[in-house]
Amino acid sequence: MSASSETLQTLRSLARESYKYGFITEIDAEAAPPGLTEDTVRFISAKKEEPAWLLEWRLAAFRAWCGMAQPDWAKLQLTPIDYQAATYYSAPRQSAGPKSIDEVDPELLRTYEKLGIPLREREILAGVAVDAVFDSISVATTFKEQLGELGIIFCSMGEAVREHPELVRKYLGTVVPQNDNFFAALNSAVFSDGSFAYVPPGVRCPMELSTYFRINAAKTGQFERTLLIADAGAYVSYLEGCTAPQRDENQLHAAVVELIAHEDAQVKYSTVQNWYPGDAEGRGGIYNFVTKRGACRGARSKISWTQVETGSAITWKYPSCVLEGDHSVGEFYSVAITNNRQQADTGTKMIHIGSDTRSTIVSKGISAGRGQNTYRGLVRVQPRARGARNHTQCDSLLIGERCGAHTVPYIEVRNPSARVEHEATASRISEEQLFYCRQRGLTTEDAISLIVNGFCREVLKELPMEFAVEAQKLLAVSLEGSVG
Amino acid sequence: MNAVVDFPVRPEARPYLEAFGRDSLARAGREPDWLTGYRKGSLARFAEFGFPSRRSEAWRYLDLRALEQRPMLPAGAQRGGISAQIRAQLAEMALGRPAYRLVLVDGRLAPALSALEGLPPGVWLGSMAAAITERPELVRAGFEALSLDAARPFAALNTAFFADGFVLDIEPGVVVERPVEIIHLSSGAAQGGSLHTRGLIAAGERARASVIESFAGAGHYWRNDVIELNLAAGAELTRVALIEEAAEAWHFGEMLATLGAGASLSSFVMLLAGRTVRHETTVRSEGEASRCELNGAFLLSGRQEANILTTVEHAAAGGETREVFKGVATGRAHGAFQGRITVRPGAQRVDAHQLSRNLVLGPHASIDTKPELEICADDVKCSHGAAVGDLDEAALFYLRARGIPDEQARRMLIEAFVREAVELVGTPLMREHLLQRISRRLASSEE
Repeated sequence: MSASSETLQTLRSLARESYKYGFITEIDAEAAPPGLTEDTVRFISAKKEEPAWLLEWRLAAFRAWCGMAQPDWAKLQLTPIDYQAATYYSAPRQSAGPKSIDEVDPELLRTYEKLGIPLREREILAGVAVDAVFDSISVATTFKEQLGELGIIFCSMGEAVREHPELVRKYLGTVVPQNDNFFAALNSAVFSDGSFAYVPPGVRCPMELSTYFRINAAKTGQFERTLLIADAGAYVSYLEGCTAPQRDENQLHAAVVELIAHEDAQVKYSTVQNWYPGDAEGRGGIYNFVTKRGACRGARSKISWTQVETGSAITWKYPSCVLEGDHSVGEFYSVAITNNRQQADTGTKMIHIGSDTRSTIVSKGISAGRGQNTYRGLVRVQPRARGARNHTQCDSLLIGERCGAHTVPYIEVRNPSARVEHEATASRISEEQLFYCRQRGLTTEDAISLIVNGFCREVLKELPMEFAVEAQKLLAVSLEGSVG
Repeated sequence: MNAVVDFPVRPEARPYLEAFGRDSLARAGREPDWLTGYRKGSLARFAEFGFPSRRSEAWRYLDLRALEQRPMLPAGAQRGGISAQIRAQLAEMALGRPAYRLVLVDGRLAPALSALEGLPPGVWLGSMAAAITERPELVRAGFEALSLDAARPFAALNTAFFADGFVLDIEPGVVVERPVEIIHLSSGAAQGGSLHTRGLIAAGERARASVIESFAGAGHYWRNDVIELNLAAGAELTRVALIEEAAEAWHFGEMLATLGAGASLSSFVMLLAGRTVRHETTVRSEGEASRCELNGAFLLSGRQEANILTTVEHAAAGGETREVFKGVATGRAHGAFQGRITVRPGAQRVDAHQLSRNLVLGPHASIDTKPELEICADDVKCSHGAAVGDLDEAALFYLRARGIPDEQARRMLIEAFVREAVELVGTPLMREHLLQRISRRLASSEE
């Protein structure tokens, strides 16, 4: 039996393995009635006791959304989404806000424990401030005091609206406007909660900020809104990771993330996404439509996106950088794995506006089973972006004869001094490499895992320490069920 | 005329519908019914599609507004003899050495300028108008095979209106040693009108030929050319298109090729002149182990706009594709390359490589490139590369250090850049001709 057919067999047997993080926490949720009207928007705003300006802002987004159609240009096949059937707000029922971690619903804490994020352990051992989002409302924020001493604000979006309205008002929607696209408009109208961070001038955030998102209540779309601001000369690294319980129905997720880097500031945003991808036949699974964009506002600012995408039935996600400041830098590192019937249409946009701006794109796509993996990217050099540079490297690995790997790069150059390079390859795992590993006693499964890890190394090394371990483990888990 | 169709007609298509009504009266009785049927059917599709919007991927980089706002209706047959201007154009565009030559003036065969004597047995070369009566089955099969979709509205318009064109039919095993030259000229008589020409090349099993099509003209016109290539198993065809239209002219070229098992197509497209030029190649590799080489270049200045599009669809195993495209834009010109290679499920062992390299040389010039891979089989080797940049400063410095003036040094580097692609043309005679045209173009744009 040749190595590849053996691989396929291993693959088939393992593909049936169930999703390890599939469990449902039974907890009382206070939900809005299904459907989306102006009243829903008002209900959410009222529930969250928001100021009038934010309600108006949401309503403007809702009106824009009504006039928009769901985009169909991505290479995705999806069943039509009934936006009126979804629930747009649900909050875990808690009497008053938890004063300390001890007051948090123990059921909730156990959920995190199952996911391997023991909140308190992390607090002490890992030195990570976790702003855990359970469905829609933040339930605990740690390390807040320590950050507070440095003037760093790290809290839920809801809290930020209450405590720091001037900052939220100044920055919200300035990177991703309400009417930016269909899903961003939807998010702007009904966003539930999310994270907010502000790092004051010259401050280097001493720890990685992180949030775990988790979709829980049935039929609840999650609409996080994240806003991170690094003021002049500041540095912040933010981690986002997700798992979701197994469920038989497609769940809608439309998040918006806005990053702002002022002069000399740096923002590093890392994601490990492992939402429920649906079963082997593609039933269930999360629909993930995310708008992520960062603006390098000031000179010499830098925004770096790193993502490991292993979950979701549908991924529609293009973390982008708008390089406005002179000498600003944008980076995008991505690993996307699609297995069974997963579909991912993901990539980035690098918009060069300032002079001497630089961007780097490294994208690694792995397709297995009947997975469809598309890299879609735009590199645009505006007329005034003198001396802009971009390098793009885009590799695809195909495992199995029924999967697909697609590369759709758009390169648009409006300035003669620009230098833009793009390279892409697509091939299957080299038989030679497999043979070599197996000859040295590795099982096919381990060999493939090793090769795939090597294939992704360029991206994985960009992840912060805390995440790198988890990402590699996740890759291995995804590969267990997918490539061997 | 409005009675002909019973669906909403796109407003920009209406003038063409009306022109068709006038035209069909003149054509009545002179064409077989099957052709009239195709024409009417295609016109209806065009009326339905209308002009493509920029939201359509295949048209996103081309500005069609001028054409949409001011219809350029099909030009009628021109009377009178061959003008001196046409003879001058011909002298410019013709290959220096003996070739079988077919010349079309204002979209119609000019027998006096053509040279079709001495064709080897088993080769039929003639005007499309003649082929409709002499080779009806072949022509009909071509129309049958052309699928009309919204991304190709002008191919539908072409079927409705084409006046003439050419057909080259080569029997199995026949090798055409001398190059075949198809020259499209325009006298300027079709001022403000459109010229629709239709070509068809059918190469039988193991047949071999090289064809160069040149396009030139005077005045303000819109040329809308469609050519179908059908390569049977083991056939080998070289097709070169040299597009050097009048400065104010529009040119849309659509080439559709089907490759049988082991067939080999080598195509080169050179976009040199014309206000707005677009060339689209679609290759469907249907037989195993076919080979397809698509190369080309555009060299733009002033306010020129040019698009090169290629789609290669590997529907069978073992195919090979090689693409090299070079783009140069100076002044306020805008050039775009969009290439797609698709590997269908089951088409294993496909080896495809695509390269798009571009120079943006004017402060207001721009280039877009979109090399695309769509792969649905695992045992493949596919890659693409794209680069956009300026001339190599070190090379420029080297030349200037040796006393070569800046302008000349730049020209040399541009020529060398484009030449890299032209070198891939296998027929020496055609290669030399292209290089000569490029040099002249560079020299004239400098003046």
